[in-house]
Amino acid sequence: MADWEIWIVILVLGVATACTRSTFWLIGHRVTIPPRVQEMLRYAPACALAAIVGPDLVLGQQGELQLGLDNPKLLGGLAALGYYLWRRNMLQTIVFGMLAFTVLRLWPAYWPVFGHGA
Amino acid sequence: MSLPHRAMGAPPIPHEFDRPDPSAFRAGLQTGLPTLFGIGAWGMVVGVAMVKGGLTVWQAAGMTLVAFAGSAQLASLPLIAAGAPVWVIFATALVVNLRFVIFSALLGPHFAHLPLRQRFYLGYISGDISIALFLRHYPQSTPAPGKLSFLKGLMYPNWCAWQIGSLIGVFLGSAVPAEWQLGFAGTLAILCIMVPLIINKPALVGVLVAGVVAVLAHALPYKLGLLVAVLLGMGTAMVCEETSNKVRRG
Repeated sequence: MADWEIWIVILVLGVATACTRSTFWLIGHRVTIPPRVQEMLRYAPACALAAIVGPDLVLGQQGELQLGLDNPKLLGGLAALGYYLWRRNMLQTIVFGMLAFTVLRLWPAYWPVFGHGA
Repeated sequence: MSLPHRAMGAPPIPHEFDRPDPSAFRAGLQTGLPTLFGIGAWGMVVGVAMVKGGLTVWQAAGMTLVAFAGSAQLASLPLIAAGAPVWVIFATALVVNLRFVIFSALLGPHFAHLPLRQRFYLGYISGDISIALFLRHYPQSTPAPGKLSFLKGLMYPNWCAWQIGSLIGVFLGSAVPAEWQLGFAGTLAILCIMVPLIINKPALVGVLVAGVVAVLAHALPYKLGLLVAVLLGMGTAMVCEETSNKVRRG
């Protein structure tokens, strides 16, 4: 993406923030969201985040599926998920996940046990 | 709602409760203080992820100052890297931010009497945690003295902590070698935001469907696979909820 295109994306993100956060401050006293729609809205963000994380964890550079033990992102991500479910602490989870990811990323180079190493 | 609605275009009703109240501001600040470190750290992760995701330092700094939406910012990074069209990025950011629509619906009525411009910027800088803490303190939307100052005491420091953390992350991240792949911290952060959003079984099913569909449909042009995944995930969650409701009713 060209520099100016990225700046347009940045402005567009600002508009998206303003749209979602300010709308009901501006019109909230005139409209109430029906509970049915509220329930639907609740599911959307989790699904969107899953749709972003999923491919990030299991797809390689060329978009090839990597479900094996030699994918440090998948294993690091799963380790982080487990840690978060256990401790419920975001910061610790990120540190732990990055450590796990880094160890796994460097691992095969030192221990050719898992296949493609030294 | 206890306040009378004013006619369109009428001057705003000045409210004695909205006068600056330093002690209420301090109370808000104290309430939010324990969360500020976490906010700053989370901002730092996003800052690092932005420069490691391919933005220049200035673009990343600009994004953090303009967008002020951590998960939407992180979500936009892979899309920018893949050269997705701007409208897809916009749509994705809207969906990721949808939870704020509900928050704004909860908080908006408290301040419906304020001038338009003030309501706009207060909404714009409201973060999840500030809103949660505010609503715990003021569950009723009736006007109360010091309410506005309390809100500002929560929101202004929250905004500052986020921006300072982010900018530190941007400049720190740009100094770290690329092969450390610090951008992965952004993915882990999204994981941590996603898990608490899985509020029930239908949500879990929806998340799994969305994740799998996004992987299978990643090759679709314009990153449409992402939107397809969100729609299918959401739809599945809704169907699950309906079915389980029917079963419960017998």
